[in-house]
Amino acid sequence: MNGRHILFGKLLGLMVLAGILMVGLSRPSFADEPYDEETYGPESPIIWTNPVKAVVFKHKRHTLEAGLECDSCHDEIFQMEAGASEEKEDFTMASIYEGNYCGGCHDGETAFAANSRCTACHIGVQGYNKLTGNTETHGGH
Amino acid sequence: MKIKDLNKLDNEGADSLPSEERRRFLRFGLTVSGVFLGGSLLSLTSTRDAQGLTINLPEEAEYPYKPHYSMVIIQNRCVDCERCMDACTKTNNVPGYGFRTKILEQMQTISPTRKEQVFMPVLCNHCNRPPCVRVCPTSATYKDKTNGIVMMDYKKCIGCKTCMAACPYNARYFKEDNRAIDKCNFCFDTRLSRGETLTACANACPAGVRNFGDISDPESNVYQLLHRPDKVSWVLRPEVGALPNVFYTVD
Repeated sequence: MNGRHILFGKLLGLMVLAGILMVGLSRPSFADEPYDEETYGPESPIIWTNPVKAVVFKHKRHTLEAGLECDSCHDEIFQMEAGASEEKEDFTMASIYEGNYCGGCHDGETAFAANSRCTACHIGVQGYNKLTGNTETHGGH
Repeated sequence: MKIKDLNKLDNEGADSLPSEERRRFLRFGLTVSGVFLGGSLLSLTSTRDAQGLTINLPEEAEYPYKPHYSMVIIQNRCVDCERCMDACTKTNNVPGYGFRTKILEQMQTISPTRKEQVFMPVLCNHCNRPPCVRVCPTSATYKDKTNGIVMMDYKKCIGCKTCMAACPYNARYFKEDNRAIDKCNFCFDTRLSRGETLTACANACPAGVRNFGDISDPESNVYQLLHRPDKVSWVLRPEVGALPNVFYTVD
């Protein structure tokens, strides 16, 4: 009976230790610095709804975390004006596979290929509703 | 045996239980309850035998219908644009509170700090052994003898919803308009019987997720998608034994 208690105590101690370690390690070191929009681009995600609903792009992921500069994409492969790319006829997956828009980097070498991991960017109607706080139910569903 | 006769029998007691029977009972208990250990549920006995992934695929002789309609869903291509749902709703006059098909969503952890969405379209599986048909008291829902589609005869439906409870795939809803159960019928009345070859959802999908065709034909796209040795394919809830005709695979 006594031995079991000691074992249990040790287990509990280990679990607490593991918990503290996990919390400590998962916090990124730059978390306390304020996000600088001038350097890293707008903090709020870009959400495209054309031609399909919906695709998300985060500046933070590409600049702060991946180390890209503004002029890596602007204005050559993406116009800086909001909504400009979305208006264009060739803003399609086929065009991206040819190296346009996201395809400039997402070619399988510089970054993961555009024809893999669809849902890394495509968040769908449900992802769109979550991000925008839209609670309106889908017509018919 | 009638209850009256049962009462006349002697109580056998637990002492006289054959050990085989006892073992089976214990095994059942351990299987169901399992043991909660270190944050994961550990069952002391396996709930069923390990199966190869292809066990769910029917053999050549197991396509009883002609055409044997089937849908093969390339799951990892789905981006939840929901054009299929829009097309279905318009084509089949589905009201706002019901659905014939929808997209399930799950957040999957891909690294300690990142999550990614996973989407999975679901619809009626048009099972070869449909539990809904088995329980319908009025034969309002039935398996079409030619093409295997699980159909509804709305006039016969009394709205008891037993089929809704029996369906392992949550593929049925009660339609207020005609006070009857409504469900996917592979667009038989709205498209297939009018000469179209695809369901509305398959026709609307921009990413080739929903592939529809006759699985008894080895030349069909559905047959070929399902018989790629290098790709895994599966059905939902195989343990139910309903033998679905909606299959899932990946690119």
